[in-house]
Amino acid sequence: MRPRPWGWNSSGRRRWAILLLLLGHAFWIFMGRGDSGHWQRMLGVLSAPSRAVSTRWMDWRRNRAEKVENLDRAAEDLKRLRGRVASLETAALRNAGKIREADEAIRLLGLKKLLPLEFKAARIVANVRKAPFGGMIIDQGEDLGLVQDQGVICTDGVVGRIWSVGKRHASVLPLDAHNASTAVMLERSRATGVLQGVEPGQAEIRYVGSQELVQVNEAVYTSGLDNVFPRGLLVGYVSAVHAEDVELRIEVSLAAPLDRLNLVLILPPSPGMELQLPGTPESKPGTGASK
Amino acid sequence: MIQRSASVSLQRVLLAVLCLGAIHQTAPWPGIQAVFHVLLALGLAPEFRSPLGGALWAAAAGWVMEGSLRMYPHMGGTALANMIVCLLMTWTLSHWPPLSLRHYWIRLGAFAVVHLLLVHGAVLLAAGAHGWGTGPAWTLLLLPLWGTLAFRLYLPHHRD
Repeated sequence: MRPRPWGWNSSGRRRWAILLLLLGHAFWIFMGRGDSGHWQRMLGVLSAPSRAVSTRWMDWRRNRAEKVENLDRAAEDLKRLRGRVASLETAALRNAGKIREADEAIRLLGLKKLLPLEFKAARIVANVRKAPFGGMIIDQGEDLGLVQDQGVICTDGVVGRIWSVGKRHASVLPLDAHNASTAVMLERSRATGVLQGVEPGQAEIRYVGSQELVQVNEAVYTSGLDNVFPRGLLVGYVSAVHAEDVELRIEVSLAAPLDRLNLVLILPPSPGMELQLPGTPESKPGTGASK
Repeated sequence: MIQRSASVSLQRVLLAVLCLGAIHQTAPWPGIQAVFHVLLALGLAPEFRSPLGGALWAAAAGWVMEGSLRMYPHMGGTALANMIVCLLMTWTLSHWPPLSLRHYWIRLGAFAVVHLLLVHGAVLLAAGAHGWGTGPAWTLLLLPLWGTLAFRLYLPHHRD
């Protein structure tokens, strides 16, 4: 005999149970409307670990997003700053010559105020000093009233003298030229001699007696005896002393940076004035043209 | 009646328990939770020895899901929908066993859509208007994954 599907047997009981389950849920949904807070609270307590993990996960994502955003922002800033630095470097390179010349002009102005002489300023437009019979060309000439044998100085020391004068230009014979002669004296011994050029940046003093006591690093000034420079302008420093038969051969490193000059001051012709020499022996290189 | 070994049944119960725990613990990630929920309701529960057991597991999945969401003022809609879809799935599997994995996927996809509509209808009746979320999209997107798992690990009726 076949068992009845909805009878009181195991299969039927299961069917009734399923039906009751469905109807119970339907009744609960449509009629119950009860409070589910206890069930939700219990599950909420049990889900605390996963919520903690989720919180950490969300925090990590937020922090990572912030870091990525900050990194992107920093990269953009860096790119912008690099561009700005590049443009500033370009501008600095473009203006470097002008700035250097302006600094030199400021120092020349200070020197001009310091010395009670009527100077004329000039710009060096060509420097062929190392070429045979070369020299320096300045942008002033007869139109400014320049004449031969006017002294030329810069803030670091004596440069040379005007060799020839054109209408708008003049050539300068630097101190280190082989045919240049300048009357100089030594700081300590006050011994006088004639400075002659040897090689770029170097010269030597002739006609100083061997009985004179000359020290290395001793300052060398103009003596004023050549009527080109006044007495007391810095020429350079003694770099070596060689005793010969009757005189000393004194090597001098010139104080003026003849390779890097832009602006110079031109002394008046035959200044004939004696400048005050300092008595302090602690004078160091680069302290100025006038002591 | 479907005859299966005790070890297979025990294995299925353990996996259902794990799936239930996963539904509960993945509440902060609703997309993943929806996948576990559908896996239990459509993939595991219809494979139990008795339809009553499957309906109970499906109802448990619905209650745990709604309870962990803590969104609805009145619960029970998901559990009712789960039971109905689980019983329908059980009935179709016993009468028309799937011939291949692809057929099983198609059937699961169709039942997943029915389940989605039924759940939202029941929840609408029980708790009122509510958000749908991205769970259905995750469920359908990962159907090849959880469908293959259900098909290969838990042996549909026709393989017994």
